[in-house]
Amino acid sequence: MRFWRYAGRRLAFLPVQLLIVSVIVFFLVRLLPGDPSYLLAGPFATVERVDEVRRRLGLDQPLYVQYARYLRSVMRGELGTSWITSQPVLQDIGQRLPATMELILAAMLLSVLVGIPLGVWTAVRKTGIVDRAVFGYEMLAGALPDFWFALIMIFLFFFRLGWAPGPIGQLDLTVSIPPRVTGMYAVDALLAGDEPAFRSAFAHLVLPVMTLTAIYMPLVMKNTRSTMEEMLGSEFVAYARAAGLSRAVQIRYALRNSMPSVVTIVGILFWFLLGGAVLVETVFAWGGLGQYAVQSVVSSDYAPLQAFVLVTAVFTSIVFLLVDLGYFLLDPRIKP
Amino acid sequence: MARLQRQRNWLPLPQGEGDFCVMTAGVLRGIADEVRNLARFSRGRPGFLFGLGVVALTIFLAVFGPRLAPYGPEDALPGVANRPPSGDHWMGTDISGMDVFSRVIAAPRIDLMIALVSTAAAFVGGVLLGVISGFFAGERGIWGRLSGAILRGADIFQAFPVFIFALALVGFRGPSIQNVILALAFLNIPFFLRLTRGAVLHVRERPFVDAARCVGGSGLRIAFVHVMPNALTPALTNLSPTIGFSILLASALSFVGAGVPIPTPEWGSMIAIGAPNMMTGQWWTALFPGLALGLTILGYALVGDGFRYYLDPVKRR
Repeated sequence: MRFWRYAGRRLAFLPVQLLIVSVIVFFLVRLLPGDPSYLLAGPFATVERVDEVRRRLGLDQPLYVQYARYLRSVMRGELGTSWITSQPVLQDIGQRLPATMELILAAMLLSVLVGIPLGVWTAVRKTGIVDRAVFGYEMLAGALPDFWFALIMIFLFFFRLGWAPGPIGQLDLTVSIPPRVTGMYAVDALLAGDEPAFRSAFAHLVLPVMTLTAIYMPLVMKNTRSTMEEMLGSEFVAYARAAGLSRAVQIRYALRNSMPSVVTIVGILFWFLLGGAVLVETVFAWGGLGQYAVQSVVSSDYAPLQAFVLVTAVFTSIVFLLVDLGYFLLDPRIKP
Repeated sequence: MARLQRQRNWLPLPQGEGDFCVMTAGVLRGIADEVRNLARFSRGRPGFLFGLGVVALTIFLAVFGPRLAPYGPEDALPGVANRPPSGDHWMGTDISGMDVFSRVIAAPRIDLMIALVSTAAAFVGGVLLGVISGFFAGERGIWGRLSGAILRGADIFQAFPVFIFALALVGFRGPSIQNVILALAFLNIPFFLRLTRGAVLHVRERPFVDAARCVGGSGLRIAFVHVMPNALTPALTNLSPTIGFSILLASALSFVGAGVPIPTPEWGSMIAIGAPNMMTGQWWTALFPGLALGLTILGYALVGDGFRYYLDPVKRR
């Protein structure tokens, strides 16, 4: 009951947040130097043509009217048309979103599966060498550019060792795309029981996911460790120790109490991975949302770029909402 | 900074008619003291020393790098495309015959310039907004409202992943060095804002703030003259890592073609030039600029880490 009240309040705030996000995204287009209608009409346009473009864009209207129009069309799912793919942006994004999600979710899963145990382990067992090695790794991972690390991985595992397939998208060219259910090739292939497709999709996932995990996993590890250290030094663990409970039970208590902040970090990890995926996708020609965004930046294709920013902001807002709800569920002390 | 503050009290500052010599001597002694302290502190901290070395080297290269380069950093040498590292070309040459070593040591000028200018701007903006938002938090009236609005604004902007927002800002403004600086400055403001706000919330509870209020100081005066200098430490210790992070972001933007345009020596765009070569085995074109980039960011992060301990008298030992 308490949870639903809290969830309701947080949910009620979401539209406000999204509205402000939409205002920011709307004003992004205003950053275009000069009058965008000249840009969009092209260099050989006549004055009438430019006027027509301006009217079509609604740029002859006052700002609030323009914003209202923008909001109305976004509500209807009209995000404009890309002039590179000459398709509606919504359709483009729908096609590419699963590829990006596959990458991010796989990296997130791996980061959590490796990072949390490692964080707990280094918090419990503080020996000199391990501690130093972990600190060194954390510093290094924070400093290495992910896009460069991806290239090194490609050089080692594709060119030198030949273990991984080349960085040319999500599937080998000879493999047919599995029937679309989720849009994530590896999952779809598994659902269809298509072994060669799954093998190929999995092989293509390995390098990009390893890159993202190697660079962003320390975030989870570091925060799990510091929270665990704090919890292990807290009074309730001291009490458990005084009561003669075993070390394993003490660690379990500490872990349970670390969960709320670990959940928060996983949310922040998603936020980081969204940004990191843009670069890693570009390196691996992944064909996801990130690569789409980079293409639109490079070719000054403004509608997809605007839509991309909107979509990522909406996604993060929703993920942060879920994180807050998870925090609430895991920490009953919080008042709604 | 807090240390410098303390030392200023100790210095024989001239009273009334300024005795310039005494003041200069005092300042020099203060600086010498600071350097000696820092030297003692850094002994036995290889990470911090390494970081200081990196910072010094990048600054040196930013000034002299392009002049020290054995070949012109933007010159495509005829007939030597894609040569592996050798005595003539220490880091090899790239696909258009440009000497990689010359470009690697010429790059800090542009990378460091972008990072320094954008970080400085973000620091000033973030600290000013952070002081206002922290000092007036929870108050009534227009300043209280403003404080809330500033925090809300920072919240909303942080819903956008950093790199994506930078990409969008540069995408809409057009790829150029100025726009990269603008985007990075804008993006780092919320970070400094939060750090300063947190410190200000603590500092404003201290007795000297009440004292300043008692002698009739206005809100703004207390906020900026009394509270701000005592709340700068978190923002200052994060200056160095932020410079490193800005270098990373700037090079990432250049890597995808939304930053520094191509012939200009810049680590990110050099990695972009070398990227296709990594699949065909010419590893040197992308490896060396990436190493330079990684070591630089690591160095700046380690310096920040060291200074955090240095400025904290409790953890210093």
